[in-house]
This record gives sequence, structure tokens and C-alpha cells, in this order.
Amino acid sequence: MKQIILLAFALALLLTSCGGKEEKAEGPTVLKFWHTMNQEETITLDGLVETFMAEHPEITIDAQVVPFSDAQNKFKTVAQAGDAPDVFRAEIAWTPEFAELGFLTPLDTLVSPEDQRDYLPGALRYNQYKGRLWGVPQVTDCLALLYNKRLLQKAGVEPPATMNDLVLTAKKLTNPGQGRYGFFWRGDSYWLTPFIWAFGGGLIDEADGEIHINDPGSVQALEFYIALRDEYGVVPPEVDFANDYENMLVGFKTGKYAMIFNGPWATADILAGEQFADPGNLGVTRIPQGPAGYGSPVGGHNYVISSSCRNVPAAYQFINYLNRAEHQAELARRNNLLPTRKSAYELDGVADNAIIQGYRHQLEVANNRPVIPEGGLIFVDFTPNLQAALNGKMTAQEALDATAKAWEQLLER
Amino acid sequence: MSLWKNIRRHRLAYLLILPTAVVMATIVFYPLIRGVLISFTNMNQYNMGSRFVPASYRFVGLNNYLRVLASREFWDIFIQTIIWTVTNVFFHFTIGLGLALLLNRRLKGRAVYRTLLLVPWAVPTYISAFSWRWLFNSKYGFFNLALKALGADPIPWLSHEIWAMVAVIATNVWLGFPFMMVVLLGGLQSIPKEMYEASEVDGCGPLRQFRSITLPLLKPVALTATLLGIIWTFNMFNVIYLVTEGGPHHQTDILATFAFIEAFHQWRFGIATTYAVIILSILLSFSFFYIRALRGSEEIY
Repeated sequence: MKQIILLAFALALLLTSCGGKEEKAEGPTVLKFWHTMNQEETITLDGLVETFMAEHPEITIDAQVVPFSDAQNKFKTVAQAGDAPDVFRAEIAWTPEFAELGFLTPLDTLVSPEDQRDYLPGALRYNQYKGRLWGVPQVTDCLALLYNKRLLQKAGVEPPATMNDLVLTAKKLTNPGQGRYGFFWRGDSYWLTPFIWAFGGGLIDEADGEIHINDPGSVQALEFYIALRDEYGVVPPEVDFANDYENMLVGFKTGKYAMIFNGPWATADILAGEQFADPGNLGVTRIPQGPAGYGSPVGGHNYVISSSCRNVPAAYQFINYLNRAEHQAELARRNNLLPTRKSAYELDGVADNAIIQGYRHQLEVANNRPVIPEGGLIFVDFTPNLQAALNGKMTAQEALDATAKAWEQLLER
Repeated sequence: MSLWKNIRRHRLAYLLILPTAVVMATIVFYPLIRGVLISFTNMNQYNMGSRFVPASYRFVGLNNYLRVLASREFWDIFIQTIIWTVTNVFFHFTIGLGLALLLNRRLKGRAVYRTLLLVPWAVPTYISAFSWRWLFNSKYGFFNLALKALGADPIPWLSHEIWAMVAVIATNVWLGFPFMMVVLLGGLQSIPKEMYEASEVDGCGPLRQFRSITLPLLKPVALTATLLGIIWTFNMFNVIYLVTEGGPHHQTDILATFAFIEAFHQWRFGIATTYAVIILSILLSFSFFYIRALRGSEEIY
């Protein structure tokens, strides 16, 4: 019985606090801010939020962590009802989707031309949809070639510059008897995209909606991917799709695999490995060039302002504060996050960080995924088909044709 | 007698069920009917409307159903679902019954065994699912390390079409047998001891007792338990999603996980509700025939 009374009280309090919201518009501004950062990053972020509120006593920030896996649906659900948080940290693929659904405030007039020039073009690109700017990039990432310097030195090889070199270099680092392989690839289509671009294929052309995943270049890329195992023998012969991310990291950290593709999110994990007790042993460089040039998928997160925000200037002031070069540099130093401002890369602790600079070098030649509302879903249909090709159930052409067909269905609205 | 007269005569009775009826209507029947209606539309997140955009979805008749039922994938996955459900419930039932029979005897430390056997059920699914996924790891998993120690070749557990199905079924069998065991044990304990005593006097051996007393008297309990088991297993989403994500290449997907990928990633409510209606119809018609076929058992008591 006691519980019921308590519950009733709690409900009553909740209801009155909800009712009071409408009148608050006049007084100090309260901005609701949802983000999906991990625990370590949240500590840094909370510090920034504190200093912002100290500098702007008229603005109160109500920051909340939302688990990344729920965040997209959660935001859509509340935005649908017109009750979205004022500021949200949205994954790059969600941004055009939310914009299409009418959940965001365009920021074209708020982001100064200097700022627009300072942001890395690849990261800013994910905020441009239907000719408008819907957010600002908070963090960026990409896949790069990570290598174990000591192993390459011992074999007397340099990190590969072309896809042909990748095969030759990896061969010298491979010894199946000892379970050592020069390279490791995954049964995850995101990890295939660098090859697709390098061989002249493509994903979806956002201008005309044309699908390029079964173009000759893309097919060639997948055939090369398979040949790395079946013909050249430089990746392990056995596959384990459900566990291959972990296996890749364990193998790299223990020196079994000399080269892998991975992104800045894995830096802390990799540096905890026995091979990288000396962080200087971790090399980060560009993914080798193919016949059609470089390829690497740009990822990251943006700050967006919802369409239900009632104080847009204050909200922008807040995200612009979080996104100052020195604050991005702090997140880079403490949490290995790649800044989205060019100027942040010149600051102390970032300019001299070889790992971050390695990723930056890759970012200069990285590619954007299609900036369309369905952009986040293309891998859902792609990965099973890639696995079918890797298991020999389909040829490269068949697997990519099946992917193209699934994407046609995805794009029809 | 008309409904109205009936209501007037038993006014109090109807008044008492009114709250339940209202709750059922709002949280069961209304969503159900609305779901069926949505399955005849092309509703998705872009046309469903919101505070900012007016709704613009339209009626598309049976198109969603034709599209789902005409795809080859649907039938492949339907067959996988049947294999998954039948195998799982078979092992749940046989293992559960075996253990229930053992635990129904007087043996030392019975309470301890009973508690220990409930562990798979008590552990949160996602923890056990992730543990099993790691046990099946091709390189560092327990099974392959054990095979290696025995000098056998490693098995590509989660990447081979058949082994992956074996792996997810093994995981779910481990997770699901305690429920069967507990329910069947309850059923066994409700069988009057006098029957066994009387049959012993008549000269029945243990096998005959099992066939003529235990099995028939357990039938009502077993019927309900297997029916529940079939419905749950048919819709068991977590295990497959967490262990293989339906892979490799959808070969361990069942209807519940496939519908999730097809429909919920993009809030395609039209297709999503179509799947829901199809799954519901399959389970309803199955339950109807299953109960009919096994109903004879109730007359034994």
C-alpha cells in the first residue's frame, strides 16, 4: 500500500512538473541535450558543459546520455510527438533521415562562413541535405591501414602503397603454419567499401539515386577481396562472421596479424595490447591505392538542433562552444576522437599525435557514404550477401546483384 | 436471450469484469485491429505524419501480403523457422521430461539439483547468448579449442549454414529446458501416488506404469507446456539476433528476426504489421489444430 501512495505522489509530481514547462519560455533557457558518448567521453563532455553554464548563467543545459543502440528510435519517437530534445548528437547517417522527416532546424544562417571553411569537407558533407545545412560535425572517423611496425621492419617491408603491394607485403608477413597472416578482413560490408572505391566501383549516387554496387569496379573489388584469401592466402582461411571484429583485434594485438583496417574508436583498445605497449609500434597510414585511387568510408557524429527547440540561437551557441577547436582538441587528446575542424589538428597534443595525424592523412582521401535518409541501412542488406560470397554460396557478381536489388527496394518510398 | 437482457440480469457480474474488459479493449483489441488495418496500407515513417508533416499513406489492399508471400526468401525462412521450432521444442521436452522424472524421485540433494538446473533460465538471455557466441568462436572458443586438443579439425560454428543452425539451436535448448522441466515436474507431482501403488499391486512394471499412468496423466500439462513452448520458440528473437544476427546470409534467420530487419529498421509499418498478422495467423491456426488433435486427453481424469 505504501508503495502505491509513493507512486501516486511521484506521478503527481511528474504531472505538475510537466505542466510547468509551458511557462518557462520567459525565464532562463533550459536546453535539453541528448548524446550517445561512452563513459570516458562523457566525463570530458560534462566538463565542457559545466564551463559553458558558468560562462552563460542564463542558459541551463540538461544533458542526458542515451544508449547509442536506442538513440535513433528514441529520438524519432519523441520528435514525432513534437517533444524532441533541443540539441542531439546524431550519427551521420541519421541526420538526413531526421531532416527528411522534418525533425531538424536548418542551420545555414547560423554557421559562419569561416566555420564552414574550417570544418573538414567530408565531415561537413553529412550535414548537407537537399541544399541546406542541418547540423555541424562533432567528430569524424574513417577506416585506415593499421600496421605493426616491428613486424614489418623484421620482414624488411614498408607499408603497402597500392593494392598490388598489399598482396606482396602481406605475403612476406604470412606464415600459416604459425597462424600468422599479413592481413585480416571481415565478413562485414563496411570493411569492403575501401576496396569498392579503390577499384572504381561505388555505392549509391545521391544525385540521381543510381545504384553502383554491381558496377564492374565493385565486382572487381569483391573478387579481389575473395582472392586475398583463396588465391593469395594472406588472410586466415577460416571465417567467423559473428566474432570476426574481436578476433581481428585479438590477432592484431598479439602480433598474429600484421595489418588490419580499423578506425580511431579502436585506438584505446589496441594500445592496451601486448604488441603496442610502446604506442610508437602502431602505424596508421592510408589504405593502399587501387586502380581508381583511394577509398575509405568517412563516419562520425553531428550536433543537430531539433525543430521543436524554442531557443535556437542559444542552442547553436551551446554546440558552437562544444565544437571550438580547443574543445575538440581536448576530446582528441583524452579520448582519441578525431576533430572535425582543421584548426584543431594544429593544436598541442594533436599536432604531435602520430596516430591522429595518420587518420587525418587518410581523411584527406576518404569518401562519403551516400547522404540520403536510407544511408544508414545500406549495410543491412549488403553484409549477408557479402557473407554468401565469402562462403562460396554466390559469385561476386551474384552477391552484388542481390545487394543492388535489395537497395532498389530500400530506396522506393 | 439478448445480450442486453443478460447484462441487466447479471448487472454486478458485468460491472465486475468491466475494468478488465476496458483494459483488454484498449491494450489488446484496439492495437490488434489497428495493426491489421495498417497492414493494408503503405504506411512508413515518411508518410505516417507527425506534428510537422501531415499523414499521406494510402490503402494498398493485399499488396503487402502478396509481396511478402511471393518472395522466395519468405518461404526459405519459413522452413528455417519450422526446423528451429520443432527441433528446439523436441529437445526442450525430452530433456525437460527426463530431468523431471529424475527429480521426482527421492534422491539426495534434490533441492540443490533443482536450483542448479534452473540456472540457464535465471541468467539474462543476452548474457548467456553472448557467452555462447564466444564459446562458438572459431579461434578462441571452448568447443574449437577442445576439438583441437583432441586432434580434430575446428568447426566453423557460426559461419557455416548448418553448423550455425546447430549452434543457435544448442544455445536455445540450453536456455529453454528448465521451463519444461519445472512445468513437467509440477505435473508429475500432481499425479496421485495411490495410482502407482494400485498398479504395483496389479503387477505393473515401471515401464508399464510410465506408459499407462505417467504419460496419460501428464498429457494436459504437457499439452499446455509444449504449446507455450512452440509459440515462444517460434517468436524467439533474442537468441538468434544475439548469437548469429541471422547470419551467415540469413541462414539462421527465423520469421521474427527477418521481419525485424525487413520492417523495423525503417519503420515500415505496413510491411511490419503484415508480418505480424502472418505470424499471428500461423500460430493461431496451429494452436487450434494442436489443441483439437490432443484434446482426447482430458477425459482420462
